[in-house]
Amino acid sequence: MLRYTWKRILTGVFSLFVLVTVTFFLVRIIPGSPFQRGGVSEQVVETIEQEYGLNEPVMTQYLSYLGNVVRGDLGISYQDPATQVSDIIARAWPITASIGITALVVSVILGTGLGILRSVSKRRWIREVISGGGMLAAGIPSFAAAILLLLVFSVKLKWLPASGLLSPVHYILPVTALALYPAAMIARLVGNTLDGELQKDYVLFARAKGLRTGRIILTHALKNAYLPVLNYIGPASASLLTGSFVIESIFTIPGLGREFVSSITNRDYTLILGLTIFMGAVVIIVNLITDLLCAWLDPQTRRAYR
Amino acid sequence: MSVLDVRNLSVQYLTENGASEIVKDISFKVEKGEIAGLVGESGSGKSTAMLAVMGLLGDRAVIRSAQITVSGERPVPGKNAAMIFQDSLSCLNPSVKIGRQITETVRARRKCSRKEAEARAEELLDMAGIRNPALRMRQYPFELSGGMRQRVVLAIALACEPELIIADEPTTALDALVQAQILLLFKRIVRETETSMLLVSHDMGVTAAMCSRVYVMHEGQIVESGAAEDVFYSPSEEYTKRLLNDARGGSLSGYGHDSIENTAGGTGDIYGKTPVFRMEHVTKIFDESEGIRDLSLEIRKGEILALVGESGSGKTTAARILTGILKEDGGTLYYRGNELNRDRRMDAFAGRVQMVFQDPYASLNPCLTVREALEEALEAAACRKSRTARRRQESLPARRRMESLPAHGDREKEQMTEKIDRMLRLTGLSPEDADRYPRDFSGGQRQRIGIARALIVEPEILVCDEALSSLDATTREQILELIFRIQRKIGFACLFISHDIHMVRRISDRIGVMYGGQIVETGETKKICSDPWHPYTKQLIEAVPEPDPLRAVKIKAAPLKDSTGEGKGIERSGCPFAGRCGYALECCGEENPESYSFDGRGVSCFLYSDRHSGRRSSDYKMTSQI
Repeated sequence: MLRYTWKRILTGVFSLFVLVTVTFFLVRIIPGSPFQRGGVSEQVVETIEQEYGLNEPVMTQYLSYLGNVVRGDLGISYQDPATQVSDIIARAWPITASIGITALVVSVILGTGLGILRSVSKRRWIREVISGGGMLAAGIPSFAAAILLLLVFSVKLKWLPASGLLSPVHYILPVTALALYPAAMIARLVGNTLDGELQKDYVLFARAKGLRTGRIILTHALKNAYLPVLNYIGPASASLLTGSFVIESIFTIPGLGREFVSSITNRDYTLILGLTIFMGAVVIIVNLITDLLCAWLDPQTRRAYR
Repeated sequence: MSVLDVRNLSVQYLTENGASEIVKDISFKVEKGEIAGLVGESGSGKSTAMLAVMGLLGDRAVIRSAQITVSGERPVPGKNAAMIFQDSLSCLNPSVKIGRQITETVRARRKCSRKEAEARAEELLDMAGIRNPALRMRQYPFELSGGMRQRVVLAIALACEPELIIADEPTTALDALVQAQILLLFKRIVRETETSMLLVSHDMGVTAAMCSRVYVMHEGQIVESGAAEDVFYSPSEEYTKRLLNDARGGSLSGYGHDSIENTAGGTGDIYGKTPVFRMEHVTKIFDESEGIRDLSLEIRKGEILALVGESGSGKTTAARILTGILKEDGGTLYYRGNELNRDRRMDAFAGRVQMVFQDPYASLNPCLTVREALEEALEAAACRKSRTARRRQESLPARRRMESLPAHGDREKEQMTEKIDRMLRLTGLSPEDADRYPRDFSGGQRQRIGIARALIVEPEILVCDEALSSLDATTREQILELIFRIQRKIGFACLFISHDIHMVRRISDRIGVMYGGQIVETGETKKICSDPWHPYTKQLIEAVPEPDPLRAVKIKAAPLKDSTGEGKGIERSGCPFAGRCGYALECCGEENPESYSFDGRGVSCFLYSDRHSGRRSSDYKMTSQI
């Protein structure tokens, strides 16, 4: 297990390196300079570029950037030279993460519960409503869902605030908009795999042992049904943790997603690269954790690696 | 009052085309402390009836007009009635530890602390004959052998403290020796705990060995019932007589092992002399205990050679080396007397060996029709041929090389279709089946497709690796007959691998008995089965219960405690069987006996060495030493 983990970490570092390289050169291809504005003369732009070392050959810039990154220095933002890129991340990520984690928890609980209900409910209409609702929730794009929620709950009904993150109440709408799709997917996955597990002999044997249905589902069937679900939850949580530009824009939340998009329009080279590295690292780490968790949950692989 | 009293039980299954009656108005009883048997072919409704008794039928089944009582009360699963199923692997949860699966049953039955439940679970495992229960409790089902798992299932059933245990084909998936151990264990448990047991089985031998009262079930009805002696010695129904006749092993010999010379066309020469394939002193060792060691065997033209032995004895490893899936660590392989190059074995040998696999559901691609699957096999064979041809033509100019390769014309297509039709008919399918997908076929039919796919390229050796063990009894019988018939008709050599000595006895010409990665005894099937020489062979053959209540009572089974997985490490010195052998001498623990051969029979046991029986004159006739 340890060797596997090390291998995964090394490949992760390599992926990050490739990511940095590709992004670095792609960013340079974007036409224009970070300092070009209406009313700023060519000469001024050139002077500033010289100041930041942008007139040197691209290869030299690349190598010196890489050296800085290895030392843990992501540089300063070109738009706002007073702030470090790492400071921007440190400011924006907690906001994004707090919404993302809440949405993750909500979608796992809601999805699992609804999935179980869909699988075991004796009432046909309950099953139909859950699968139909799930399909609808998975089908609506997040911006449409967000705008719809905003219209109904804050504009028409005025129950919930429309923007900002001042109190727990402010979280409700963006979290709902974010959690809708993963919750639907999880409900669907849990329902399907549970259906399959409940057909198996060990469930019949558990009934013959005299266990109650609730116990059979929670301690027996769900344990086996959850592995494929976990494989979905991993990547889904990575995308929740790196922030959604659409949701953050609609609810005016100063999170990572919004930062990222504005950095691209501003051609803020260092910020783009810094955010890319950070998000890439998050995705790689979350996926690694998921894979390790899956391997650990399956007793056969766990024993094989011991 | 009877422990189990079932009156007028009928079960219907609701299907799209209306209801079909699976169990038709049956009544039966089980008295206190007795083992009653319900015997019948698969599909006769036995299992459905049992699930109905337990109240575990699914939504699509309807019980009509039944009166079912356990000691005068309604049967409650896990309380007064418990059930044991056939496949111990699938009925234990793969991701829950053994201990937990027992303690939860204990605690569902009565209130007690976790500690008490654990102590009780250890006690139950010990009762079920498991050594070192504390260790087993911490393991997962896949870490246990089949016999051990069935013991765990029994322990779980006992944890319910039931008055009645229903055992549905509890030993069908096990090999003969383990089966005998488990059956003996059941008997002891029933006696000691005064539980009653209803044993459901298709096996007349098992029923005879276990039951004092027998019900015979056929097409949803009980056709005959009575004391075991009456049913077995003076059956009144035709159906019972037929079952008994089948069980005594009559049907296949109708094709005649004695008349092999006639069927194979001419002299007895074909059966015996020319080996198609031979392996000598082949060794293949996986980490620790599995593999084969110093194994020599030959497959002769036109014969069925069976490899028999418990799981982990190396049967499959031997077959995989033969097919080239695995490479041997050491030793030599010969094909028609020529040594095969270890690295380029496929050149000389590819396509001459074909396999029929164990799981007919997993071994057919669900996206290919039967025709496509068979065509693929044919094309692969043609490809191999042309590759060999191309290698020979390497020197020719490019254009001429292209011309001489086989092209796909209409005539080839036609020939292919014809071939496929013929093969399907031969395996008992019809040419119309060619355009259907695997999902349209039953397990038995799929196995027929598997056989057709293997035989269509006209192999010289067919390997059947447990090809019948996932089929139910009736289907197994049909496929066994099919393989035998086709083999006699076409005359290919066949390596038939099975743990079921009963089946092997009926189909094979010669047997190799494997234990611990070695062949401990080889020879003609008839001789080995009637007069086993090696102590292991003897145990194996005696463990098969006969359909005769008086003789079967004495199952001379090995230890009550499970002994699987002991002393089987392949890297040890000495005879692999020494630890379990009642005849073990001092030298058995230190040295590995070589194979001593006498008149076409080989046996690896010191009892047959010169050292043991003294130097013998050349005309000495060896007899069994045990």
